This record gives sequence, C-alpha cells and structure tokens, in this order.
Amino acid sequence: MNKVFTDGLSFALPLLIMAIGALYSEKSGVTNLAVEGFQGVGAFFGALAATLFAPLIGNGNQAIIYIAMVCAAIGGALFSCIHGLLCIRFRANQVISGVVINILSVALTAFCTSAANAAISGNASNKFVLDVSSKFTVPLLSKIPWIGGLFTDMYPFEIIIAVLVVVLWYLMNRTRFGMRLRACGENPQAVDAAGANVTRIRWMAVIISGALSGIGGICFAYSLLGNFSPSIYQGFGYLAIAAMIFGNWNIGPTTLACLAFGLAKSGGLQLCIAAKLPSNYTDLFLLLPYVLTLLLLIFFSRKNHPPKAAGEPWDKSKR
Amino acid sequence: MKKKNLLLARRLTGRHASLWVSVLAILLMLVTAGILLLAMGKNPLAAFRSFLQGCGMLPKENYGGGSGMLTDLLDFLNYLAPLILASLAFIAAFKAGLFNIGISGQMMLAGFTATVLVGYNKALSPVIAKPLVLLIGLVVGGLTGALIGYLKYRFNIHEVVSTIMLNYIISYLTGFFINNNYVDMMTRNSRTCTPEARLTLTNVMIGDLKGKIPLGLIIAILVALLVSFVFRKTVLGFEIKAVGMNRRCSQYTGIRVSRIILLSMGFSGAIAGLAGVAYYLGYTNTIIPKSLPGMGYDSISVALLGSGSPIGALFAAVVVSIFQQGANYMSSSIGVAKEIASLITGILLLFASCGNYMKFRAERKIQQAADLAPRSVPAPAAGKPGDRGVKTL
Amino acid sequence: MSDYKSDYIVEMRHITKRFPGIIANDDVSLEIRKGEVYALLGENGAGKSTLMSILFGTYEPDEGEILVNGKPVKFHSSTDATACGIGMVHQHFKLVEPFTIAENIVLGVEPEEKKLGILPWVNIRKANQQIAELSRAYGLEVNPTDRIADVPVSVRQRVEILKMLYRGAEIMIFDEPTAVLTPQEIDFLLQIIDNLRKDGKTIILITHKIAEIKRVADRCAILRQGRLIDIREVADASAQELADLMVGRQVKFMLEKTAPQFRAPVLEVQGLTVKNEHKFDVVKDVSFTVHGGEIFAIAGVSGNGQGEIADAIAGLLKAASGKVLLNGKDITAMPVRERALAGLSYIPEDRHETGTIPDMMLRENLALREYYKEPFSRRGILHQEAFRSYSEQLIQTYDIRCAQGPETVLRSMSGGNQQKAIVGREIEEQTDLIIFVQPTRGLDIGAIENIHRQILQERERGAAILLISLELEEIMALADTIGVLYRGEILKIDAAEKMTTQEVGRYMMGVKEA
Repeated sequence: MNKVFTDGLSFALPLLIMAIGALYSEKSGVTNLAVEGFQGVGAFFGALAATLFAPLIGNGNQAIIYIAMVCAAIGGALFSCIHGLLCIRFRANQVISGVVINILSVALTAFCTSAANAAISGNASNKFVLDVSSKFTVPLLSKIPWIGGLFTDMYPFEIIIAVLVVVLWYLMNRTRFGMRLRACGENPQAVDAAGANVTRIRWMAVIISGALSGIGGICFAYSLLGNFSPSIYQGFGYLAIAAMIFGNWNIGPTTLACLAFGLAKSGGLQLCIAAKLPSNYTDLFLLLPYVLTLLLLIFFSRKNHPPKAAGEPWDKSKR
Repeated sequence: MKKKNLLLARRLTGRHASLWVSVLAILLMLVTAGILLLAMGKNPLAAFRSFLQGCGMLPKENYGGGSGMLTDLLDFLNYLAPLILASLAFIAAFKAGLFNIGISGQMMLAGFTATVLVGYNKALSPVIAKPLVLLIGLVVGGLTGALIGYLKYRFNIHEVVSTIMLNYIISYLTGFFINNNYVDMMTRNSRTCTPEARLTLTNVMIGDLKGKIPLGLIIAILVALLVSFVFRKTVLGFEIKAVGMNRRCSQYTGIRVSRIILLSMGFSGAIAGLAGVAYYLGYTNTIIPKSLPGMGYDSISVALLGSGSPIGALFAAVVVSIFQQGANYMSSSIGVAKEIASLITGILLLFASCGNYMKFRAERKIQQAADLAPRSVPAPAAGKPGDRGVKTL
Repeated sequence: MSDYKSDYIVEMRHITKRFPGIIANDDVSLEIRKGEVYALLGENGAGKSTLMSILFGTYEPDEGEILVNGKPVKFHSSTDATACGIGMVHQHFKLVEPFTIAENIVLGVEPEEKKLGILPWVNIRKANQQIAELSRAYGLEVNPTDRIADVPVSVRQRVEILKMLYRGAEIMIFDEPTAVLTPQEIDFLLQIIDNLRKDGKTIILITHKIAEIKRVADRCAILRQGRLIDIREVADASAQELADLMVGRQVKFMLEKTAPQFRAPVLEVQGLTVKNEHKFDVVKDVSFTVHGGEIFAIAGVSGNGQGEIADAIAGLLKAASGKVLLNGKDITAMPVRERALAGLSYIPEDRHETGTIPDMMLRENLALREYYKEPFSRRGILHQEAFRSYSEQLIQTYDIRCAQGPETVLRSMSGGNQQKAIVGREIEEQTDLIIFVQPTRGLDIGAIENIHRQILQERERGAAILLISLELEEIMALADTIGVLYRGEILKIDAAEKMTTQEVGRYMMGVKEA
C-alpha cells in the first residue's frame, strides 16, 4: 500500500510541473500541445549535462541531479522558443505548431543523442545512462497511518517541485505578472490598451512553460526510467495536458488530477505484482493511465472553459 | 535585389502559391540540412547523392548479386505506398479542421487485426486473402477514426489528446497480445504473414534482377485520386471543407456538423487502416510490439508539405521517402547516424508549417510596394485589417 | 463659448496613417483646446477611430507629429499616452470578463506592494476602496468586486470611464460611446461628459450621431474617407449642414414607407424559453406573432437575449420549452435545413463567424443556401458552372463589388459588400420569413440606406420580417410593431406609431409599466 503512494507521488509531481507549464502558456493565450516535446528536449539537455559533468564532480555524487535539472530547464526553455516563434511571431496555427514541435523533438533528441554518444564514448548509443536518484524518508510524517507512504522513499526533486508549485501558484494568482498573463489569455486587446506588452508576456509564458516541462522531463529520466532514451516520449506531456483540462486551467484542481493519474498508475502496477501475473501482463496495467484519461475526459470535457483567446494569434491591428 | 524579392513575393501570392511555398520549404530544408552536414564535417552534396542512391534514383558504385538500381527503386516504392496513404488519411481529417495525430495507432491496430485474422491463415488463396486484408484495414481503421470523431463532437474531447491516448492504448494492447500469442522467439517481433496475404509480391524476377512489386502503391494512387475527386467535385467534400473552415456557419447553412465530423474522422481512419495493412503486410511483414510506426508522424510532414492537397501529397511523399528510405545507405556510405533522416523530415515540417506566414509576408510586401508606388489610381478597396473598416465604393 | 484659453492642449499636425491597401488618415491636422468637448464626426470607416488610436498610442503615425501641452511627443504604446494624461474609452470595451471591476481598472497600473518587504503582490483590497471612492465622487456607482461577466453594458462603460479617471487622465477620448445605450442612459452619459468638462477635463467625442454633437460639443471636426473636411463651431452649424458635410452629398433623413398591410400570420412564437450552458434562461417565455407584410422589430440593449431568439427560431439553438410556428406549421423540432426549406431566411449578426465562410470564394458563399439542390449539384456531384452563373446574377442584382468576380475570396472584400452578399443570398430565397439581426452594423450611410430599402421592399412583397437591432433609430424608422426585450423577456409589444423613443428606452431598461 505504501508503495502505491510512494510511486504515485513520484509520478504525479513531474506530471504536475509539466501540466503547470502547459497552463502558463495557455492562460497567456498560446495553446500548448508541445509539452511532450519540451519535456523530451529538456530531459536531453539535462542528461547530456549529467553525462558531461558527472566525471568532473565525481561519479555517484547526487549533486549532479541538480545540475541536470537546471540544464533541463534551460534546454526546455530554449526549445520552447521555436513554439514561441511559430505561434507568436509567425502566427502559425498553434495546434499544428505543437504537433510539429513534438515530432521535431523526437527526431532531434534521437539524432543528437547518438551524435553526442559517438563523440563522447565512440559508441553511437541512443541512450544516456543515468543513476536513479537517491531517496529519503521524512522522519515523522512517514509514520502517519494510511498516507505515510507519501513521505516514504521520496526523491529530492519531489520537494523542489512541491515548492515550485506553490511559487507558481502565487506568481499566477497574486502578482502583477500573473494578473496580466491571465488577462492576455482572455482579452489581449484589454492588456494592450492597459499599456502592457502582450507579445512579451506571451513569450515569457511560453518560455516558462518550456522550462517547467524540461524539469518534468529530467525528473522522469532520473526516477521512472533511470536513463535518457527515446522512451522518454511516452505521452506524459499529453497526460499533463489532460490533467490541465480536468483542472479547468486552475492549478489546484490540476494538482488533484495529477495525483489521481499517479495513484492509478502505481496502483495498477502494484495490483499486477500482487496478483503474481507474468511480466507480459504489466503492459495491460501500463495502459491504465491512458484509459483513465479518456474516461475522465468523457466526463469533464463538456463543461470546461479554456482561456477565451487561447489559440488566436495576437494581432495589434485588429480591434 | 529589391526586384528579385518582389518576384518571389509574386510567386508566393499567385495562382500556384501553395506549390511555391512547398518549393521554398524544401529549399530551406536542404540549406539547413546542408549546414548541419557541413558542421559535422561531411560533404552535403555527397550526402544528398547517397540518399538518392539508396532509393534507386542514382546508381550506386556496386551492387550485390540479383540486385540493382531497380531493386532499390522498388524497395523505395514499397515504402512510399503506405506513406502516401497515411498522409491522405491526415488530409481527410485536416480538411474538416481535425488533426488526426493517431494515424500510427490506427495503422498498428489495422495491421495487427489483418495479420492475426488473415496473415496467419494458410488456407486462404491470394485472391481472397488480399482483398480481405484491405477490407479489414478499412473497417478497423474506420471504426477507430469514427470513435475519435464521436468523442470529439459528443464529449468535446480534443482529438489530439484522444488520438494520442488511443495510440498508447493500442500500442500496449497489441504488444501484450503479440508477446502472449504471436511472437517469433528469434526476432521478438510478431511472426511473419503468409505470402498469400501479403500486399507486396516478393522475389519477382525482372530480367536478372530480383524485386518487390508493391500492390499498395496502386491502391495509394487510386485513393489519392478518389480523395482529390471528393474534395473538388462532390457535395460531401464541399460540406467537409465548409465545416473545416467555419463550423458555426456550416451549422447555420444546415450542414449536420456532427455527422461530418464523424464521417471525416471515419474516412481518415479508414485510409490510415489501409496505410497500416500496406505497411505491416506490405513493407515490414512483421509487427514490432509496442513500437508505433514513425510513418504516422511523417505523414503530417507530407500532408503539410503538400499543402493539404491529395495530389500534392503524392509528390511530397516522394521527397520525404527519399530521406527516410535512403538513410540506411547514406549512413553506411557517409557515416552519419541515420537518425538524421527524421531530423531532416522534422525540419521540413517546421518550414512547411510556416507556409501561411510566408504567403502573408509576400502579400504585405506586394501591398507595400503598391502603396509606395505613385498614386495614380485610388487605393484598392480592400478592407482594413479586421472587419470594421468599410469604405464607400 | 468665448472664454477658451488661448493655448492648445493637443495638436495633431499632418497625420497620415496607411494600412496595407488603404489610407486611413490623409494629412489630418487638429488643434484641441483645454476644457472643451471636441467632436469628431464621420461615417464608419472615415478614419476617426484610427486618428484617435494614434493619439492614444495604439498606432504610430506614418507621417506627422503630435504635441501635447505644446510639447512634441512620440507615443509608442498606450502607456506613453497614459503618462501624458490621455485616456480612451474604445467602442468595443477592452475588458477581461472573468476579472472583477477593480481588477480591470487597475490592470496595467496595478498597486504592487511588497509583502514582508520582499514578496511582491497586488493589493486588490486597497484598489477596491479607492475605486469605490472614485466612483462615488463622479456619480459613476459601481461595485468594485463584481465580475465584468455579470454586469450590463452600461456598467461596463462606467468601468471604462473609471479606468481613465483612475489613471488621472486629463484628455478623455470617447469612441462612439452611445451606440450601445438606451436613450435614458445616453442622457446620463452626456451629463457625465458635461460634468467632466466642468471639472476641467478635455473631451474628444467620436461619433456619427449629430444630435449628440449638438447637445454637448463645442467644436466639431468632420472627417470623410480619411481626410479632414471641415472644422465647425457647433453652435453655428445646423444639423443638416453637418450631415451633408459628413456624407459628402445631400442626405434624406426620412425613409419613404407605405402604410402597413398585414396579411396572415407567418411566424408565431409561443412561450419560447432558451437556456444557456449554465441552465440560465437567456430567453424567458417569449411570445409574439409576425404577419406577412409586417416588420416586427425587437428592441433591447445588447446582451439581453436577442441573438438567442433569432438562433432559436432558425434552429441553431434548442428551445428549452415553447413553440415556434411557421405558416402554422410547428418547426420547433426541425433541423436547420428543413426550417430554411420551410420558408425561413436569416441574416445573422456576425458576418465572419456565422454568415459566411470567409476563406471560401464569393460564388460558394452566395450558394450556401442552394449548393445541395439542382442545378448546383446532381447526385452528390457539384456543377461549378451553376455556381458561377448564379453568383454573377446576384453580383449584378445586389451590386456586390468584388475584385475578381465570383472567384473573389470573401475575406478580401469590404464589410459592406460582404453584408450585401449575405443579404442578397438570403433575400434571393424569397422566403415567407426573413430574420435580420443587426443588418447595418458597421456600415456607412449609403450601404445602410440600401439595406433599409431592401427590407422595405421585402415587406411590400408580403414577407414577414423580424428585425432585431440595437440601433433604436433604425427600429423607429422601419418597424410596424415593436417588442422590447429586457433580460430575455418581452416587456411590451405595441404598434410602432403608438410608442415614442423615450418610452421604448424606458422598457429597454426594464421599467415595466411606464
């Protein structure tokens, strides 16, 4: 039972940070289906940095994870500029742009990984092997009955993400920047008339979205996968978007949706182990989050309210 | 210099604007890929030549016994057929304003079903087996597509999200069944199909060369003509386009939008199903479990490069196939990782998706030139940006 | 009138602004004195709004310069203009619907404070207080914590005015401020404008309504097709003179309308109720009858359920309860197309969203009611030749100007010609019932006259006409019968000649028995 909570949380939190990334972009009026691509490219940069720097700071030193997280954020942010360029500057269809970026990211990271590996080790492998992050248990909280599992065997990045979520909520709902950002997604003309720069706010939102997704990606690489390889693209980005839709573009409910996904995934897997099914059957349980997403979408999609101006390029000359 | 720019601008706004946008996108892609190859210390021209050699469009230095340029070309066509079909599938939905990103999954499900039901049945004669394979592709793909359309209009689920979810569900589900029941212990892939069911005729002797005859290509060209006809000439095509361009106005004119969404997603899925059987029972002849075909995504590049036109897609598919199919030979002869093919396709997609912006800039440029020209006639009566600018005429 | 200060607060010199394919302002020069109400008169598309958007920093002029208080200024955005004390109420309000009134007012100049000395945050409670005080001081009562989505148009306009006051604007631009108001609300607004002037503010009033200019303005500049035609002292110019200057030719104020001859009932609406997605009744138990040869007009302030009534009759929205009868036949459950075939055409409010497919060609747009019938198609196959000849005929009959004939992409045509195309397409069906919603929105006087003439012609023919408009003048000029809509309910139905503009206005504000 504890294992369900432990694994569930470690899956839910990276998902959540990606969902909040998507949320920032969409709240500013830029539809963002590119999270999948952002997280992959971000994770690539993080994993590349880890591979390059690990020998310098000593193998097995856990500090490498923090370096990787910073690099993943930067990499995701850089890559998200393509989405910004297409959607904000070139006024391309934002759905197409998202799809284009996801396709490009798979190709780009596959090519760059083998090129980088060939240059570093001479072996053009398609993965960077990473250590799985070390874990810790919160002393008192983990003893709480039932939910103690949430505080057992935690990855350090879970704390970082939890803190980030609070900060991001505050930024979105209490500050001048957040207020303007939300206004941009509803009525960019109003923001422009109020003297704020819609283009700049949307750029910042997209870049934040890229950075957060990058962090989410590298956390998956360091926990669930233990490496960086094409298997980073498992549709987690789309799950994050689905969570954002259930959360009706609000951070609080989105958090609950991510937790539900995480628990469904870990619960399914533990069930499979408990039932002593052959390993083949794990495939059947791995598809649980996707089925759950579809089912939840059926119940929640009708009534949701995306930001009104999302998907529309901002054109100053239009009134 | 200025004059030349305007010439390009004229091309990008003229009658064949879409064609020129595609040409420009290909040129930009070649330049970018060239720079990339140069940066890696390779000769771009040699690399591009080896792509063509790998596809049987230019002769290689030497060939093994029984193979020649024609063998390579036929292999190329064998790859081309499902790609054309997949991109037609994308177009069919795209015209209705829908993004079928789940072509990979629909291909896999159709291919898997046809393989299991027909591909392993040794009793069927080719005359029955081959049409049956096509039929299964159509039905399985069509039903999957229609499901996505249903989720879209009934529950307002964005098709990009639902198709991706279905992709993974299909991938894990078929992977489970292949591993459980149909696995080939040597390759860890599914067992190969009977030649009777296969849509590609293998080991056909043409002169002294051994080659493959892809029947899928004939179907691909027929479907391209059919799709083109539907969108240019029929009431149904008109209604699908109307729904894609303005859903609310379509409802206003009395088109049953939900029916059109269901139909066009169903068509899209059906064509994707054909692509699936042409791929799994033609090109690969086996299914790698839990590995969705990248072709489903390449098809988006092809469709956008062909600017949504079915006939354009035929040519665009050739361009993309050259890179994907020629990558192996290029990799062995030049020594660049073959993943570069997907990267090149991705870059092409990037430029193709900027097509509207290119046209927009070209229009601006021509307009500016016209505005700056001495004013002998009053300014043309185009509306101001936005719809409120009204001039007395 | 004689005690103007000698100095100008705003000078715009030789302003020229081009948009692709159009010159919006052509060498326009204005001088505005401190403390006056300065009117900009001109038709839709004359370049008034563009000129003021330049003064407000939304656009930068291609040529010319602006002086404020005698000093040359260059505005790159509205922030620069705001800093110079210029504020603007746009015709389409710039409000964020899910935000509260206070949040909308402070947007862009948020009162940011530091919590614990480091954490920046927006002190919205303080803003609420300030705004409540400000609104009381100017007689513009609002509740700062109400959400914009929940308040009516007149309150939204107050919010826009408060926005300017909150920013300390000295020069206030009003772009067509009365277009959406009832006569009584217009009185109130003009009173506010007068108070603001007494307070020392300078007011620039953009309008095409001469009566308002006569009531509040000191001077008036007339623009036509981007050019400055004349500047007049309002006291010295007659209304007829101003109108002729605005249009550039003699204007007839009255439409020639024959006495009504009602025939059998064509449209009968009985207890119609329409719910929105929140299960809220946007149309509540509405009943009325429109006869052949009758123009039945529905008056009301924007957002009171007009569009929903039209959509429900045409079948675009489902009726929650009630009945719609067309020529005695119950069409309540019919799909859209069958209703059209039963004898209904519909000119919807929104040209781009509903009335046309802007990316298709003119000939396809003109055939949207016909394409599935012979000779446009046979057994599911389209015949382009039929599209071409039909559209050529309509282009002729309805005088639709289009650069490439039937092949013109609709988006590239002017708004007036798009509207002509829609009106032509619907009238050509020769149906028993024609619904017009806001048929002249955003059009110039020539086009408006043209469409009014066509509406009257259809009435002569014996068609029943349901006219839904926000322009009270239009309704008073055309209607035989007027129904007034308020919050989804029809408060009053009466013959047009029995009602005055003031009366209709009172009902529009929800006053039941006047």
